[in-house]
Amino acid sequence: MVSGTNGKTTTTHFLAAAVRASVAPETRRVVHNADGANLHFGIASALSEQPRSDLAILETDERVVADMIRLGKPEVLVLLNFSRDQLDRHHEIKGLGRSWRNALAAAGEDGPVVVANADEPLIVWAAQTAREVVWVDTATTWTQDASLCPNCGANLIRTQPDATGGHGGDWHCSGCSLAQPASDLRVVDGQIVDRAGVSWRPDLNVPGAFNVSNAACALAAAELMGVDVATALEGMRSVSSPAGRFATARFGETQARLLLAKNPAGWAEALPLVSTETVVLAIDSAAADGRDVSWLWDVEYEQLAGRTVVATGPRAQDLAVRLSYADVAHHCIPDLAAALAGHSAPVDVVATYTPFQRLRKMGKV
Amino acid sequence: MPPLVDFGKGQRVEVVLVYQSLLGIYGDRGNATVLVKRLAWRGFDPLLTVVEPGDALPDSGQVYLLGGGEDAAQVSAVRALRADGGLHRAVDRGAAVFAVCAGYQIIGRSFTVGEDDQVIDGLGLLDVTTTRGPVRAVGEILTRWRGTDATGTDGWLTGFENHGGYTELGAGVEPLADVEIGVGNCGDGTEGAISGTVIGTYPHGPVLARNPALADHLLQLALDCELPPLPRPEIAELRRQRLAAVRGRRR
Repeated sequence: MVSGTNGKTTTTHFLAAAVRASVAPETRRVVHNADGANLHFGIASALSEQPRSDLAILETDERVVADMIRLGKPEVLVLLNFSRDQLDRHHEIKGLGRSWRNALAAAGEDGPVVVANADEPLIVWAAQTAREVVWVDTATTWTQDASLCPNCGANLIRTQPDATGGHGGDWHCSGCSLAQPASDLRVVDGQIVDRAGVSWRPDLNVPGAFNVSNAACALAAAELMGVDVATALEGMRSVSSPAGRFATARFGETQARLLLAKNPAGWAEALPLVSTETVVLAIDSAAADGRDVSWLWDVEYEQLAGRTVVATGPRAQDLAVRLSYADVAHHCIPDLAAALAGHSAPVDVVATYTPFQRLRKMGKV
Repeated sequence: MPPLVDFGKGQRVEVVLVYQSLLGIYGDRGNATVLVKRLAWRGFDPLLTVVEPGDALPDSGQVYLLGGGEDAAQVSAVRALRADGGLHRAVDRGAAVFAVCAGYQIIGRSFTVGEDDQVIDGLGLLDVTTTRGPVRAVGEILTRWRGTDATGTDGWLTGFENHGGYTELGAGVEPLADVEIGVGNCGDGTEGAISGTVIGTYPHGPVLARNPALADHLLQLALDCELPPLPRPEIAELRRQRLAAVRGRRR
């Protein structure tokens, strides 16, 4: 089981590919909710389609984790990260962390082995109650949602530079004993150092430092499922466009690469990957996107200055105002198809969840 | 707009963003981005100072901004601000304070946190008291501003509210606005509070991006001068869309 704010789908694809490369080459042995249907119904539906499978690799929405620990009895649980996301529904990310912590405590010795991101204080606090934890130093760079200790409320202290190659620094609490645990696996300068201390070049076919972090977590989980590191990495390299992320699609004459960004942490990862002269940004505020688009102001769109930006989607006008205040030249074309039409050079598209899914349909990827 | 860029004559105006790491979860830092740009567009020399707990609040700011945050952050922020004392000094010398959501609650008399409704003393800059409400207020909000600049369509304030605390106003403050759609302070038909140069309000959006007349009102309070209008068609269009959406949906 894999959960966290960002990277659930890609990490689950990594893990499924690693397992298929080794213990279960036969596809039918593995249940995988590959398209990201990660709420109660989506998980029940994936399981019921393959009742004879003996392995399930499931991405799980943050709100469903506690129920899954209780009812699904996973053997391995991967906890990736926590950041502000859909606050109109979640209200407080700490409440989610608390629900995980309580569920792991209640499960006791019957609970899962947890693979947890040691860079994230709230993840560490939530995972502390698990019977066994494999800690991964993921070199996480987003620290804006981890100012206070989830245990006691005191300020968290970060020491720079991160001794293990991350930019966020190692952390400890100024008021209690909560601190970054010693890692079992870690990401150092884009390489993954495994539990035996061996350094591996991931050579993934999806871009971005955060996907190396995701791969490190998937690798730890794969090992727990009996896959050796070399085989697991070999499998993970076959992942190139998990559920349409990073896929290249055609929209008439236009060739577009699709990037998903659902929240400020996701945008902070996605925007530096943008490499085309013209960039299309698609924003919506449907339930799955979060109805409040205030988060647009937590994203540094200023870094797009000098490019041509097309703002699209139902909330394109909110983005247009944000871009004006960021001094980024832009056109506002709310209709997705019109925004993508007629680009002679390839374009990168960064979209929130709902327009991303619409673009996948339109581009058949 | 050539005449505008000369208006501010390069005058330094300092906008202080208070404790972004604690009171910055809902994009309210955008209020600082908006003020700084609206000053720059008019030829002022804006300076944005971001202050974190442990650093002293500068005594040189003209506008101090506080945003929304979670319970634990709110408690941590109010402790640090009380120890600092800079916000009171700022108000005493006539600087403007604009506080949103959790920030609004902490500059009041008191607020409550947690399941057990622990009462926490606020800074007392506004005569308002916050307690946990019967239902969380979440959704688009539309209010009618009571301010003097609230003429015509500029008088509609649009935003997104998301708060569990309900705020009751004391005799020492006036409501900022009257609720058309949404909850506002506590379901009594009022939204926000104002006293002198101190304004508290619930909507995110951020609220100054969606309500440029309120942004300019705040700057005028801080600078004690009239500012020339700054017509921006993209903001007018956003306001048209948000007003139509909230009225069409009625939540």
